[in-house]
Amino acid sequence: QVSVLYFARSAELAGRRSETLSVPRHITSLQLWEEIVKAHPRLAVIRDQVVFAVRQEYVLLGDQLLVLQPGDEVAIIPPISGG
Amino acid sequence: MDESEDVPKDFIKLKSEKLSVDEVSELVVSPYCGAVSLFIGTTRNNFEGKKVIHLEYEAYTSMAETEIKKICRDVRQKWPSVKHIAVHHRLGVVPITEASVIIAVSSPHRAESLEAVMYCINTLKASVPIWKKEIYEDKYSWKENKECFWANSEK
Repeated sequence: QVSVLYFARSAELAGRRSETLSVPRHITSLQLWEEIVKAHPRLAVIRDQVVFAVRQEYVLLGDQLLVLQPGDEVAIIPPISGG
Repeated sequence: MDESEDVPKDFIKLKSEKLSVDEVSELVVSPYCGAVSLFIGTTRNNFEGKKVIHLEYEAYTSMAETEIKKICRDVRQKWPSVKHIAVHHRLGVVPITEASVIIAVSSPHRAESLEAVMYCINTLKASVPIWKKEIYEDKYSWKENKECFWANSEK
């Protein structure tokens, strides 16, 4: 059970800022994205523009194998525009 | 005080209230420093011919603070003489001409603080999870920094 956080455009498309999601402990970042899109299909349009932050470290969508712990924060990070 | 008491500090704040240049400069002033360099990011009233009404900022606050701390750490590695660093970023609605970010750095001589300030704002734009929405008269747009490596290049 991980905590998924949505920001900016991804929060608008998912219609929420956070939720808990049940996912396998070992999962690639791309598979994790696909789980999230199953729950919120409107997110599919931003697939090429987002990265994850898993436990506050950036992770690209791809083959990277994640080892998730219960309660971990996974954030969807659209292109940033601070400053 | 002697210099060993003037321990280098990082002052990082994300807040929704109006930012103050006086407050941020005063945080970094030190009797051992002859230079305080400042960057102020203000909101422009136009983008590609459209009138901007105001900006709205949101942040992944805990990670943003951590990423800014990493930037401060990098600054101190690159410019070891830097004394204090302050980064204040506003969240929520920012009216036109008001500051969205203020960065101040102090150092004994001016070269280091000037370079460090530039490094801070450039790296902040590339790595800190903060988002800006431009509100126009008829619609809005989530902005994307060109420094952000995961944004589409054709945008």
